[in-house]
Amino acid sequence: MRRSSYAEVAAGNSGPSQNSRPLRAGAYAHLVNNTSPAVPQESYQSRHLSRSVELPDATSWGTRYGTHMPRRNETSLPEFFIPSYLKGSKYADRLERVHQARVAAQREARVNQTSNGGSLSTSASGVNLPKMPPTHRGIAHEIVERLPPSEEPVDEWPMAWNDRDKHAQIEVEEGKRQVKLTVNIKSADEAATIRADHCAPKKCGIYYFEVTVMSRVKDTTVGIGLSGPKVSLHRMPGWEPDSYGYHGDDGHIFNHNQSGRAYGPKFGSQDTIGCGIIFKTRQIFFTKNGYPLGTAFKDVNTEKRYYPVIGVKKNGETLKANFGQEPFVFDIDKMVQDEKFEILNEIENRPVSDSTDNESEKFDEASFTKDLISQYLSHDGYVETARAFAEEVYADTRAPAGTEDADTYSPPVDDYHAIRRQEIRSAILRGDIDHAIKHTNAYYPSVLRDNKDVYFKLRCRKFIELIRTSTILAAKGQYAQQKRATNNHDDYDFEMELDDYQSNSNPPHQPPHHHHHGWDDIASEVDALDLDPEAAATRYQQVEHEIIEYGKELGEEFANDPRKEVKRALEDTFALVAYEKPWESALAPLLEKRGRAPVAEELNGVILVSLGKSPAAGIERLAQQSEALVDVLTEDGGAGAFLHVRRDFLQP
Amino acid sequence: MSSSTVSVPTPTQHAFQRRVDDVKIPKSDINFVVMDYLITEGYPLAAEKFAKEANLKYPVIEGSIQARVTIRRAILSGDIESARNQINDLNPEILDKDLPLDFALLKLQLIELIRKCTSSPEPDVSPALEFSQMEVAPLAATNPDFLRELEVTMCLLIILPSDGPVQSPYAELLKPSLRLDVASRVNKAILESMGARGESKLRSLVRLRTWAEDKARAAGLDIPPFLPLTSDGAQDGAEETNGNHDCGDMVS
Repeated sequence: MRRSSYAEVAAGNSGPSQNSRPLRAGAYAHLVNNTSPAVPQESYQSRHLSRSVELPDATSWGTRYGTHMPRRNETSLPEFFIPSYLKGSKYADRLERVHQARVAAQREARVNQTSNGGSLSTSASGVNLPKMPPTHRGIAHEIVERLPPSEEPVDEWPMAWNDRDKHAQIEVEEGKRQVKLTVNIKSADEAATIRADHCAPKKCGIYYFEVTVMSRVKDTTVGIGLSGPKVSLHRMPGWEPDSYGYHGDDGHIFNHNQSGRAYGPKFGSQDTIGCGIIFKTRQIFFTKNGYPLGTAFKDVNTEKRYYPVIGVKKNGETLKANFGQEPFVFDIDKMVQDEKFEILNEIENRPVSDSTDNESEKFDEASFTKDLISQYLSHDGYVETARAFAEEVYADTRAPAGTEDADTYSPPVDDYHAIRRQEIRSAILRGDIDHAIKHTNAYYPSVLRDNKDVYFKLRCRKFIELIRTSTILAAKGQYAQQKRATNNHDDYDFEMELDDYQSNSNPPHQPPHHHHHGWDDIASEVDALDLDPEAAATRYQQVEHEIIEYGKELGEEFANDPRKEVKRALEDTFALVAYEKPWESALAPLLEKRGRAPVAEELNGVILVSLGKSPAAGIERLAQQSEALVDVLTEDGGAGAFLHVRRDFLQP
Repeated sequence: MSSSTVSVPTPTQHAFQRRVDDVKIPKSDINFVVMDYLITEGYPLAAEKFAKEANLKYPVIEGSIQARVTIRRAILSGDIESARNQINDLNPEILDKDLPLDFALLKLQLIELIRKCTSSPEPDVSPALEFSQMEVAPLAATNPDFLRELEVTMCLLIILPSDGPVQSPYAELLKPSLRLDVASRVNKAILESMGARGESKLRSLVRLRTWAEDKARAAGLDIPPFLPLTSDGAQDGAEETNGNHDCGDMVS
């Protein structure tokens, strides 16, 4: 049953009322329709579906991998895993996000299929909007925000054996991790092999997998290694060019020859053999039952692709692979960690301020970083901080003089523009969008005219702020109602009521996802609002009215904008009114206070550009360049693969 | 979100530059780096203002920040003795365990003393000699590198006061950058003695960029000959193509 909305409560209606909220929702129906005239009856579900289907990575997945992998419909989505040694790497992060997007797209499709009938019509009953799955939007947003716009695909790592890239007599079982030979291969120069579904990705830096000999066949003849995609499936790993193998019957290793070279111990039943490739040094190594056996091959041509491969000869031989689904026997994690540590060490100890003979070439890291900081502070309009920093730096430089009465510090002439930009920024940060627009237009009249996107975002943000305000006022009004109910009880406790209100909105069996709703944000403001609850109720009515008026205005202003993003953003923004408790809805992230900062920064950026300055400060450039350089260094499997710029350098 | 900043590519823009432009660094990350710098390098007033202006939670600043500021200023003003006392007040193990740092401070103190002795109208070098023999020599005796450094330093007694320019190894000793250098080593040692990171993330980031650029050039990857930190479109082309990391000029 639907709880009476606070709108009704605040309006003083005790019975079920269609007065305020439905009215508002109804008033908006035309706006939503306005923005997408082509599909006037479009349901929320289908809108969301189309959104997730448009995710670049979610769609391209099917076509990109469809030929190679089983169709990814509901039942065949393979279990996703991250090999332990890749956890925390940028590559694993990206692939995981792609996977999540896939899952989300699929869930959307499912939801859409099963709840056809329940789709929302933007009618007067709009308050009963079926809830979106709570997480998908968050993920989708993250994808949109965090995946670089580049079109390059994110390669998968090997997940299973490829049942379409094998010798005919090999059977694949156990979720495609186990393989079994069903005949004896008599011919001395023949064998049966199978390759994994993906090649070892260079972006790993180091790629590693393990294979355990499951069968108890005596005198096994097993070969494990890496091979190119074209190598014959009738030849033991290592016999052909582009193929590298370690054989159990003699412990020899093979690359493009039949006799091999002594390398390690023999292996057979119950042994676990690991195989790794280090792209940076172009080496291949093996392990046996957790012990490293040392470098097997050097100067591997890493321009080529190599797939995990196994070869067998005897009937009944059974091998099971671990591509990272389970913990590895060998401590590959440590090897990767050590590599990463070494690289971080190399970076840290790079002699930047080495005392070279040439004085002018000497790089002064201390002053360089100091300059970066002060440039950032004034660039981004942190006026007070910039001044405090300048004073502290000045106090340092005055120090060497050591004299008692050093001349008093005169602060640098304040950047006139910096102060204005600070004013505009802080207006947005406190939610006063009108003030920001007014000041921007007064000081930088061309900026909003020339940057329609930013102007549009500001206008949308204002609408969101109005919804926020109405939510806060309603919550305050709720107190008024409850206060009347508990009439004159001396022990009336606001805090308790607030808790009540909160727990109402978040039933205990449904733990709140703090990341995905803005209640915490709002609750503190409800507390802070210094307004008589009665007055709050009145003011609430005004704001409701204002929302409708402003919404119409906003809708009309951008109704004819052909851009898809604009339409979408408008739909999202307007959709907020449809929810009784918007901070609980999938749209909650829009309501959060931290949504203000990006708008503020964007406006600051375009103002800077209008002043002929760079939109990004030196530190940002530094970070961007580092990230791009590391990315470039990752592509060929080099040292960059071991670094995660954001995690290693830009976060605690 | 994604396509808001419409950048007009200049016709000559390098593919890599586009890649750089496409990297999205959240403001929160940058602000973290800035705050980390202010705390680590010891600028408490700026840190406080920044927390307010950037809407950040004011970080818990460990007690040492003020001490680190006074110690830094003592070193920069040449009052090494006071700096040493304050370091020992904070934690006597810092210098006991880090002999090179201990020696660097003693050497700096000796230099300041020599500077003082020789600059007076009636030079009297005995305090410097005494300090050298009593305080510096015992530690210098433990390490041949220290001993050599002490010898060079003592030569200042003969050279100073000098009318002309001081020659190479000695000139190094008289530069203010030596104080700066020792000050930042002390700051690092104090932080590390408390189990904190000794250097700011920003310094690491600067090194990362330089390292990555070196690697990319060494690997022959296709990047522009010069990667400026300013991106004021007009200047990009005009920038002289300087293959080296002349970072100092990059911020304007």
